[in-house]
Amino acid sequence: MSRAKRLVGFLRGSGLSTDARRAAPANLLLFLGPALAIYLVFTIYPVLRTFWNSVHTIKPHNVEQFVGLGNFEELLTKDLVFWKAVGNTAIFAVVATIADVVGGLILALCLFARPPLVRLLRLVWFTPVLMSYVVVGVIWVWIYDYDWGLANLILRSLGLSALEQSWLGDPRTALWSVMVTHVWKWLGFNMIIFLAALHALPADVLGAAELDNCGWLAKVVHVIVPMLRPTIVNLLVLSFIGKMMVFDLVWIMTGGGPLWSTETVSTYVYKRAFDWNTFDLGYPSAIAVLWFLIILGFVILMTQLLRQRDRLEF
Amino acid sequence: MASPASLWLRKLRRSPLLLLILLYTAVSGGPFLWVALMSLRTTPEILASPYALPARLHLEKFADAWTRSNYGTYFWNSTVVVVTAVALLTLIGAMAAHCLARYRFRGARLVRFVILSGLILPPQLLILSLFQILLELRLYNSLTGLILVYVAGHLAMTVYILEGFFAQIPQDLFDAARLDGYSDLEIFWRIALPIGAPALFTTVTLNLIILWNEFLYAVVLLTEDDKRTLPLGIMHFMGSHQLDIGMLATGLMIAILPIILLYALFSETMIRGMTAGAVR
Amino acid sequence: MGAVAIRGLSKRYEGSAELAVKDVTLTVGDGEFMVLLGPSGCGKSSVLRMVAGLEPITSGTVAIDGRIMNDVPAKDRDIAMVFQSYALYPHMDVFTNLAFGLRRRGVPRDEIARRVESVAAKLGLSPYLKRKPHALSGGQRQRVALGRAIVRDPKVFLFDEPLSNLDAALRVSTRNELIRQQSEIGVTAIYVTHDQVEAMTMGHRICIMDKGEVIQVGAPLDVYREPANTFVAKFLGNPPMNLMQAAVVQAGTCPGLRLGAVQLPSASWPAERLRGLGGKALIGIRPEDLYEASPRPGDERVIAIPKATVLAVEPLGSETLIALSLEGVAEDIVMRGGRDMRLRAGQSATIMLDTAALHLFDPATALKIPRNGS
Repeated sequence: MSRAKRLVGFLRGSGLSTDARRAAPANLLLFLGPALAIYLVFTIYPVLRTFWNSVHTIKPHNVEQFVGLGNFEELLTKDLVFWKAVGNTAIFAVVATIADVVGGLILALCLFARPPLVRLLRLVWFTPVLMSYVVVGVIWVWIYDYDWGLANLILRSLGLSALEQSWLGDPRTALWSVMVTHVWKWLGFNMIIFLAALHALPADVLGAAELDNCGWLAKVVHVIVPMLRPTIVNLLVLSFIGKMMVFDLVWIMTGGGPLWSTETVSTYVYKRAFDWNTFDLGYPSAIAVLWFLIILGFVILMTQLLRQRDRLEF
Repeated sequence: MASPASLWLRKLRRSPLLLLILLYTAVSGGPFLWVALMSLRTTPEILASPYALPARLHLEKFADAWTRSNYGTYFWNSTVVVVTAVALLTLIGAMAAHCLARYRFRGARLVRFVILSGLILPPQLLILSLFQILLELRLYNSLTGLILVYVAGHLAMTVYILEGFFAQIPQDLFDAARLDGYSDLEIFWRIALPIGAPALFTTVTLNLIILWNEFLYAVVLLTEDDKRTLPLGIMHFMGSHQLDIGMLATGLMIAILPIILLYALFSETMIRGMTAGAVR
Repeated sequence: MGAVAIRGLSKRYEGSAELAVKDVTLTVGDGEFMVLLGPSGCGKSSVLRMVAGLEPITSGTVAIDGRIMNDVPAKDRDIAMVFQSYALYPHMDVFTNLAFGLRRRGVPRDEIARRVESVAAKLGLSPYLKRKPHALSGGQRQRVALGRAIVRDPKVFLFDEPLSNLDAALRVSTRNELIRQQSEIGVTAIYVTHDQVEAMTMGHRICIMDKGEVIQVGAPLDVYREPANTFVAKFLGNPPMNLMQAAVVQAGTCPGLRLGAVQLPSASWPAERLRGLGGKALIGIRPEDLYEASPRPGDERVIAIPKATVLAVEPLGSETLIALSLEGVAEDIVMRGGRDMRLRAGQSATIMLDTAALHLFDPATALKIPRNGS
């Protein structure tokens, strides 16, 4: 008997399958066990617990008290700071998302036109994406400094001293200043994705557009953007989610001030949990749960509304 | 006649494009150059003239930052946490991904759903409970606790990327290995991992960058100064010494340099890795 | 009205030392259907794209109607192109695909509707005007691509291997469709293909290219009958022309040709040329010019080649291909026979060769040696 046949016989006899798509339960446990264990303890359980917390008040020393939807009620009806934070976050999510997706597309188109040193440009333009929020935040705090920061310096040298601001210190400009920084960090990411998508477009279609009397602007508007629609939608959703959850940059640059003008839902959650005069983990948990559901709802809405009706195969 | 260079010169006349390119290059790269220069100057020098070139290269500031300002500790903590977490993440993530990609078993769909649902969970939904849980497990304010949280937090994305890759390996290789008598573990070790090496490399670089820069979990779960990771250390320093711009700049450089090093060596992989999930 | 004059056209791609197109000169008359034929990589698509303006020219000129087009952007050259991949706009329906170019040129809406509907009717696309490309079959997409070019009413049509993505049956019917459209419309056309059947049936003239250079230009049958070199000789014709090494022998005052054991008449070629060959020549004979029995009994030009061994017999239904080995000849040759072939593999037979159809090539240069008086 051939060696293979003997082996198959042996395996069958021992109860092990020769089907490489089935593994013994012990092995499955080995492969999945560690991942599932850590994941269940440090991700799934915390999520469930947050939901639990949201319908309780949690006092120090783990004194819990069931309050039903009381937290949510207080949140939605009486909490002015929450609503200010929601407003700020909403502005942030809408404006910054559009800015960095549109900006990313423009940068990608610049590189798609194949200027000299395109590879070097791509590298440099991607760098902000790699840096930690702390690095980005500190640098931009310096840029926004009133006396010697680059922003005001440039305005002064252009003769526009009248426009000088205390960018992060003035409640009217703080949110927008943080937004600019956030967009600055992420433009390169969207650019790279758009660039890949642009290179995946069939060159012949762009050639046909040229023959159809399209200059570069017409090509972008009538041919490129419609064909990039799936990518654009994906990036809008991805960016939106990220901006709805923005914490790091705001915390580092302004801490939510001045006067709640940069308070976002995430920074508010943090403050209510760790920086408040009364300790209660239930209330911020409720905020987190509510916000998660809102984000989820928006994502579903956005994908339903914006997705391509029929296939765009090419 | 019409060489690429002269074509480009013609485009130059459409100066908006070139202007935009130059502008954005200055905007995206300028700040880092500035920090790099400032890291080599002392604070009085900087305050006197913030944008000048260093008169002397004060390389001793790096040593200072390392010891007196505690950046050495922060760097070490970051290194320990990140390297351990990435190693664990890669190993157990690869095992889980291989299992999900290769084997059929009851509950596979459920497991996949549960793990991948982590992709959409916002950190805020987790940190408050994690705070409680780590306290209860006595892992609060410990590097171990942070490592475990990091692994759990990034498992979803790692498994997502690796599973996609592993699933593309032809089934024939595994069938042949089975017939040759290899055990499941050997199959994983000798076949799936070597062939999946590019994807593993991608997730490793991706996780290295993300965890090196991670801030939110660290700021909630670590409080003692000697446990702080680098981003936290810088923030703390910023809080207490915000006028010592020179030292801060040096600290920033210490945080940036490993990334720049990785970037210089593996830029293609990093770019591919960071965008791996988003490209459909 | 739409004559295309290409002079000294050359193309070097970035990063390549070699020229992809070497000094191509070609004139396409107004209303002429010119086929650029050649193997992959011979530069024919590059030439087409340079005429279109989609590829920058390294050196040389392209002129349409006497006007030099080198610096004119593609959209202003008044040409239309049908791409191999059809290049339809996937997000637009058929009507918009056809109308897009006209809209971009500011043609009034009712005029657009009129032209699009008339072209759609001509090509049988009227029921599909509201469909998007992904809902169309390959043949339908091809017709939309063609329609898009026709509706533009250009001076020159350019075709880049438009039929190669179609299956065989569709290819034949679409080919005939294209021929009909072109002769109806009467616009100058340049058609790139690697398929010699398309070239033979479609073109007024064909231009054979290899490795970036023009090898031969002429009417299809002329090029078929009088190939300029061995490359053309082997490229046109399926099965390809048989090329065999022969010896040039001194027989009295005139040099003679000997193929294996057989003496071939050599009076048709200039004696000095034969003598200058250094003793070796390449003989070419097409498979259809070899016979089992003489096609013209009594004609001395048909000579017998004895002791030919039959290697294989392939009955194709409508004809039979026979592989033969001739005594003293190194290369195996192929002969075309009729439906009822009585030869069997392994047999020894006498084959008739029509020397009026013999071609002679110089082995050193691969060029054809012309007959006396040609």
